[in-house]
Amino acid sequence: MTVSSVATLAAVLSVAPALPGLANRTKSFLTGRRGAPVLQLYSDLAKLARKGAVYSGTTTSVFRVAPVLAVVSTLLAACLLPLDGREPVAGFTGDIVLFAALLALGRFAVVLAALDTGSSFEGMGASREVTFAAFAEPGLFLCLLVLVLATGRLSLGGMLAAPLANAWPTAAPSLVMVGISLFVLMLAETSRVPVDDPATHLELTMIHEVMVLDHSGPDLALILYGGALKLALFGSLVVGVLVPHSALDAPAGGAVLVVGLLGVAAGVGVVESVMARLRLDRVPQFLITASALAGFAAILLLG
Amino acid sequence: MAFFFAGLALILAGGFVAVLARRAPPVADHLFVVLVGLGSVVGAVPALRVLAGGGVVSVSVAVALPGGPWVFGLDPLSAFFVLVFLGVGAASAMYGVAYLGAERGHRPVALAHLLVAMLIVSLALVAAAQAAVAFLVAWEVMAIVAYLLVVFESERAEARRAGLIYLVATHTGTLALFVLFATWGVRASDLTFASLAAVAPALPYGGAAVLVLGLVGFGVKAGLVPLHFWLPGAHAASPSHVSALMSGLVIKTGIYGLLRLVSLLGAPPAWWGWAVLALGLASGVLGVLWALAQHDLKRLLAYHSVENIGIILLGLGMGALGGAYHVPVVAVLGYTGAVLHVMNHAVFKSLLFLGAGSVARATGTRQIDRLGGLSRLMPVTWLTFLVASAAIVGLPPLNGFVSEWVVFQALLRAGVAQGPLRLAVFGAAGLGLIGALALACFAKVDGVVFLGRAREAEAAAAREVGAGMLVPMIALALACVLIGVAPVLVCGPALRAGGLVAGVGGISGLAGVAETVVAVRWIAGSAVALIAALGLGLLLRAAILRRRPVAVDETWGCGYAVPNVRMQYTASSFAAPLVEAYAPLAGVHVERSATSYATHARDPVLELALLRSWGRLRTLAGRLRPIQRGRLHVYLLYVVATVIALLVYLAAAGPAR
Amino acid sequence: MAQLEAVVLILVIVANFVTLGTGRLTTCIRAVALQGFLLGLLPVVLHAGWSLHQIGLAAGTIAVKAVLLPRFLLWAIRETAIRREVEPRVGYVASLLLGAAGLAIAFAVAGRLPLPEQAAALLVPVALATVIMGLVVLTTRRKAVNQVVGYLMLENGIYLFGLTQTERVPFLVEVGVLLDIFVAVFIMGIVVFHINREFDSIDSARLAELAE
Repeated sequence: MTVSSVATLAAVLSVAPALPGLANRTKSFLTGRRGAPVLQLYSDLAKLARKGAVYSGTTTSVFRVAPVLAVVSTLLAACLLPLDGREPVAGFTGDIVLFAALLALGRFAVVLAALDTGSSFEGMGASREVTFAAFAEPGLFLCLLVLVLATGRLSLGGMLAAPLANAWPTAAPSLVMVGISLFVLMLAETSRVPVDDPATHLELTMIHEVMVLDHSGPDLALILYGGALKLALFGSLVVGVLVPHSALDAPAGGAVLVVGLLGVAAGVGVVESVMARLRLDRVPQFLITASALAGFAAILLLG
Repeated sequence: MAFFFAGLALILAGGFVAVLARRAPPVADHLFVVLVGLGSVVGAVPALRVLAGGGVVSVSVAVALPGGPWVFGLDPLSAFFVLVFLGVGAASAMYGVAYLGAERGHRPVALAHLLVAMLIVSLALVAAAQAAVAFLVAWEVMAIVAYLLVVFESERAEARRAGLIYLVATHTGTLALFVLFATWGVRASDLTFASLAAVAPALPYGGAAVLVLGLVGFGVKAGLVPLHFWLPGAHAASPSHVSALMSGLVIKTGIYGLLRLVSLLGAPPAWWGWAVLALGLASGVLGVLWALAQHDLKRLLAYHSVENIGIILLGLGMGALGGAYHVPVVAVLGYTGAVLHVMNHAVFKSLLFLGAGSVARATGTRQIDRLGGLSRLMPVTWLTFLVASAAIVGLPPLNGFVSEWVVFQALLRAGVAQGPLRLAVFGAAGLGLIGALALACFAKVDGVVFLGRAREAEAAAAREVGAGMLVPMIALALACVLIGVAPVLVCGPALRAGGLVAGVGGISGLAGVAETVVAVRWIAGSAVALIAALGLGLLLRAAILRRRPVAVDETWGCGYAVPNVRMQYTASSFAAPLVEAYAPLAGVHVERSATSYATHARDPVLELALLRSWGRLRTLAGRLRPIQRGRLHVYLLYVVATVIALLVYLAAAGPAR
Repeated sequence: MAQLEAVVLILVIVANFVTLGTGRLTTCIRAVALQGFLLGLLPVVLHAGWSLHQIGLAAGTIAVKAVLLPRFLLWAIRETAIRREVEPRVGYVASLLLGAAGLAIAFAVAGRLPLPEQAAALLVPVALATVIMGLVVLTTRRKAVNQVVGYLMLENGIYLFGLTQTERVPFLVEVGVLLDIFVAVFIMGIVVFHINREFDSIDSARLAELAE
């Protein structure tokens, strides 16, 4: 835990809500509209934090705990990443598994909260969420495996920092494929097109949005912030893989990451305006393709 | 060892007291609970001593049977398993007292208590046996006592059928074990494990026959695919505490057998390691897929046992591969992960079954789609079930995460090794898939059974069960949390057991193991951090909401003003996308009509493979019926013909005079 | 002595053929009684020893095989009041031919069996022949009493065979064998009696219907 790692983490935490805004703004720009302000999510969060909450009579304490747990688990997962390109806030050998497990914990909490409401819409969203997670999880592991094989390190702090820069010359093709694969998985995890359309208002076509229909007030603020944080988290992974910045010293490294995040968000916007949302039964194939790409990258490194 | 046998004797005494004093139920029940609990504690003392670093203890008893003396002993591996068996066994036995209390009078409840005591004792003896004959005797006693407990509710055809299939399966496995020890023991002076280990290097083909027979014999008991077919029926049909004992403990004896086999043989060949790894992956993925399709709560949990056995076998396979490719770190971590998951699974799976038993007792049904909203009516059961669900999915800060983490370490370290071992790293993706599917399944179970609102009347009428059933469940849940937050308590002993199996002395000297020990402390820290952060977050939220208007209303559900209980998502719908995506493997049979839609989950191995080939065998055998005419003289004719044929053969083949 | 043995053994064979060829139940039983008498004499004839043990054993064998069992069978016939004809499944001529074939097989095979050398060269073939002919009787006769007779012939053949194996058969084994035969026949008789009482018939073909 160094000062720079904590500072970079704080920076990422503050920038996170800007990322969905930037993606939406890019999409609007490319489709000839003005679009909402980039910092819209900040105002939404502030507004929601000031509001009261309405809870369904069917829900129990699970519903009240879940948003907090989702944000906390994502936050702790972010602590494991070497955001400034050098060291994470905390890390140990084999923390890859903890990273994935913390994300799963957040997902479990939100899904249970959805089922807690006893409504068919939330149940449908929960069902889709866990289904796509079942296809995305092996993909995430395969991407991390490629990094393990390329760098020979077993901790995120090791995999995404200096050793990765050293591995780039020899393992470039695999790492590029992993970058693409991680980008696709990020689209799935954060419910962007082509997996889910964040701008749709038809509940039957939603995945993540419909799962959190019943949250209100500060809970909804936490959920929205958690979504933005996940986007930042995966974006950091993509930036860490594609743009190894460990050679730079600390503040420059943090700046590179933030700029990279903004670039990723813009890239998401571009993808959203270029592609249409996939049919629901095509999404597993899409995710399997991304996983297969990562698997192929792994085989390249083994051979 | 004296304490060990004294503890077992106390447990047995508790069983006998339950039978002898059955006319006075409260006294009998209390005495049973006290004696079993005391016996477990006393019996666990030598095991704890061994695990804490004491030397191996053993005792040898000469018996008038062939095969040498019966040796019982506790080395780190045996001690670990004995601890698990005694601890979880005692909790389940105590639960059983309250669970069966309502059935006194029309079922042989006292006898069931005695059988449970005998089961725990035989399990401990299986783990402590250090001679083949003693091992097999304890094994058979365990299998038969388990059968008697499975058919406890004998008036139900489901229970009888499940018991029959279980009996056939377990005896097939035991037969394989007999052949195993017979072929091994011919070369040895007697059948004690020490003698068998001494002749192990002389086995032909590197012990291939022994390894394959062991995989079959122990695999049937453990329930690895495709030898698992007896498991769902038997675990679903038996009383809940028996299901807990079977899923939590009895199937682990198969794993114990495999570990003991490896420790006696030395490092197994690579092909066996790959086979175990593949079987583990198949069991894990298929087990959870089949679980997703189930409508019956206990059958679903039984299939999850198959899945977790798959995870344990992943660890075991990595251990074998590490030994075969001479990477000691992978070997030690693989076996350690397997052993740790044995313990953790025993704890959270028995907790899940006890919870399912409470639900079944309170509502009278095991069908998931008839339940709902039980979290309000049965809060303690819900809390413990939630803890167990999170544990089985492998979420921090609970114990399931710790053991899956160790298995992951073995897989990942294979990736940084050299040679063909690196291929095994794809198993990590497989384990990730298993985890994600398990999350889906338990989100389904928790959400549909406990959350939302009651779907049928029997769920609405449920009441929380009594303290007799709650106390063991709370104890097991606390164990889940404790192991998750303080994994150093169990990792040291597990590493010693894993080192024993891997045949590696001085494991703390290995660099990878030292890193793992450090990492385990970090995991403990992360668990504490997670709980602390969660607590902090909840306090902040409460502080913020105190000054805001908070209201309670109907579920919004997109503004639909009149939500109905029947509009809730059913379990089948929840699992439908996943089940349909894996349709060929899932063994789900769909019945559609103009007005209805029903899915039936069939076990593919049992229904499609075994029963079908059994049917064909029967028709073939039926073609032989004309030989059996029921007439005496025809049978005598067969005898005459055979005698004459034999005489002629002897004459033709024998020396001419 | 060799001639005496040969004569005895040939008489045993004759008794077998009589059992196969006759149409009357009482004749069958008497033939088996004769066989039993001859078998009681045979150890004495073979070993030419006149010790008390030998004589006692011979007397016991004769008492059981030649006197008690046949009497018991005759009593059973009387009690059940069955027709005293044999009623075979295959004809008498065919039975005799089967017996002859059995004899031929026995002689053909006996030379080639891996047995130690014998004092009496005829003993093994005759033993085998008696066994085979006993089995033929068992297979081709309908009445239960007749099957008991076949069983007795079978036992006689086995006894003969036993004589080839040891110089002196241990006392206990012989007594045990005798006891075994005695009990078996006794039980069979009682069963026959009861079957007849219940079903008015001891035709084993009709008894087979019970199986279906």
